[in-house]
Amino acid sequence: MKAMANALEGDRSGRARIVILLLWLGLAASVFLSLTSGASDASAVNVIGDWLFGGIPRDAALSARDSLIVYDIRLPRIVLGMLVGAALAVSGAVMQGLFRNPLADPGLIGVSAGSSLGAVAVIVLGTTALAPVTALLGTLALPLAAFSGGLATTLVLYQVATRRGQTSVATTLLAGIALAALAMALTGILIFVADDRQLRDLTFWQLGSLGGATWQKIGSVGPIIILALAAMPFLARGLNALALGEATAGHLGIPVQRLKYTAIIGVSAAVGASVAVSGGIGFVGIVVPHLLRLLIGPDNRYLLPASALLGASLLLLADAIARTIVAPAELPIGIVTAISGAPFFLWILLRKRGVVDL
Amino acid sequence: MIEARDVSVDIAGMRIVGDVDFDARPGEVAAIVGPNGSGKTTFLKALSGEIVHAGRITLNGRRLSSMKPVEIAVHRAVLPQATTLSFPFTVREVVKLGLVGGRSGALPGEDVRLPERALARVDLDGFAGRFYQELSGGEQQRVQLARVLCQVWAPVLDGKPRYLFLDEPVSSLDIKHQLIIMNIARDFARRGGGVVAILHDLNLTAMYADRIFVMHRGRLAATGSPSDVLSDDLIEKVFDCRMRVGVLPAGNVPFVLPQSAA
Repeated sequence: MKAMANALEGDRSGRARIVILLLWLGLAASVFLSLTSGASDASAVNVIGDWLFGGIPRDAALSARDSLIVYDIRLPRIVLGMLVGAALAVSGAVMQGLFRNPLADPGLIGVSAGSSLGAVAVIVLGTTALAPVTALLGTLALPLAAFSGGLATTLVLYQVATRRGQTSVATTLLAGIALAALAMALTGILIFVADDRQLRDLTFWQLGSLGGATWQKIGSVGPIIILALAAMPFLARGLNALALGEATAGHLGIPVQRLKYTAIIGVSAAVGASVAVSGGIGFVGIVVPHLLRLLIGPDNRYLLPASALLGASLLLLADAIARTIVAPAELPIGIVTAISGAPFFLWILLRKRGVVDL
Repeated sequence: MIEARDVSVDIAGMRIVGDVDFDARPGEVAAIVGPNGSGKTTFLKALSGEIVHAGRITLNGRRLSSMKPVEIAVHRAVLPQATTLSFPFTVREVVKLGLVGGRSGALPGEDVRLPERALARVDLDGFAGRFYQELSGGEQQRVQLARVLCQVWAPVLDGKPRYLFLDEPVSSLDIKHQLIIMNIARDFARRGGGVVAILHDLNLTAMYADRIFVMHRGRLAATGSPSDVLSDDLIEKVFDCRMRVGVLPAGNVPFVLPQSAA
């Protein structure tokens, strides 16, 4: 690693490749840990053993129970956790590149709040005012509403914060706060008119949880997230150039308008889909890219895939904590990410203060 | 060849640039001079395809407004007045962004070492591993020039000349580096490329420019070789400052001109 760094001074691509390799291993370890830990003593090792070797003589009933827990409870939750973690982390990295601001995060600048508003509208009004919409779209109504809410917020934010091709950092954050407040107020109105059953569903949105993971939910939002994630690597070079400013990126031959709109739509889709299935899970989008930039630098060609891997791993670990720390009850994962993420965010601010302009 | 005819730019209802005719020829350094707010940078933005303009601009025979950003980027590179970066890129990573379009024109296999070579040309040997944000303003400006040089490393590509657009390239540099940068520009032109530079220093302009375009209140006030254009009357009219060209100061006033550099 050292030798590679010396070969071309200032070139961190070799180190980035090694870090990405290690992140793959980390993800594999997180998946294994999540499979084997939980409120029940179901043993994933036994289930995998059954699956591989066609059944070691054990209590058949116990084996069937373990298999159910692993396949229908833990595994969908793990797949969903990976999808959501990757989506949130990559969305954070892309937004930071787009707004040229290391503090941009879907949760901070109101995109998640906009998505929540869309999702809550479907939950509360799905059987009344929005009944024709939900009837038409079925299980896609919720993720699509969340996507539309996120997209609308991002577009308004970008229009407000950009003047003559320059995106103001301060305006972005302040406009994001205003938009988030507005979305939350509208969500509040919906909560006010919600009935008791809807309120239970809504509590889940406020705190964020992977608890409702089913294969069916994965089937409805998985493709959206995977499609959005698959589009992101094509943005990497353009986002790198955008770090020099929109005008300079254009001089270098980047089609800036198309890049911006692709990024905005991709982020809205990924965040919207994530919010639709897991509610508001904060700080993943800011902590993960920031940690990785310290390790491998800001080159998006490496930062985006690395963010997907680390985001997936971290969310699995956070979920493992959420599931086990107060077992048999369960802590919403949003609380776990906020408790660890918020101090980290403050630490970034303190560290950056005076050294680099935000 | 870059030809601009009747180019006008309006921003927020104000005419910033009006009816400017301009040519940049291969082999020449064309300097744009004029007082602050005379429309120099806005005109350069129109020329680089960055802002909407009225009139007609052609780049190597093709209408600029019909070209895609990626096509324009093959023919010209732009050095802005100053560039701030939002993320901790190393100097090498910044310079390498000049290769994003993939048409540097360097020989095959040369691209890997191109950032180092470009940095050496702007007198930043050994800076590749430093962080851009830690450098001084003048050093940052030279890193950006190295990036721009990477984009159009060969002054001629596929038999067509390429152009360097430089917006006040030496404004934050010490005298040694002013001369280095201006020599790079002249060398680029000598090797078949074209240079369009906005300059404030009339002495440097007289020394390096093949042709001068003087802008005044958004319009072209004069065009021609330095000796034709730089006259007492023109300077008074354009810069609103009575000065005399070619007059030495009194014996007790020290003066240093770039022409005296060895």
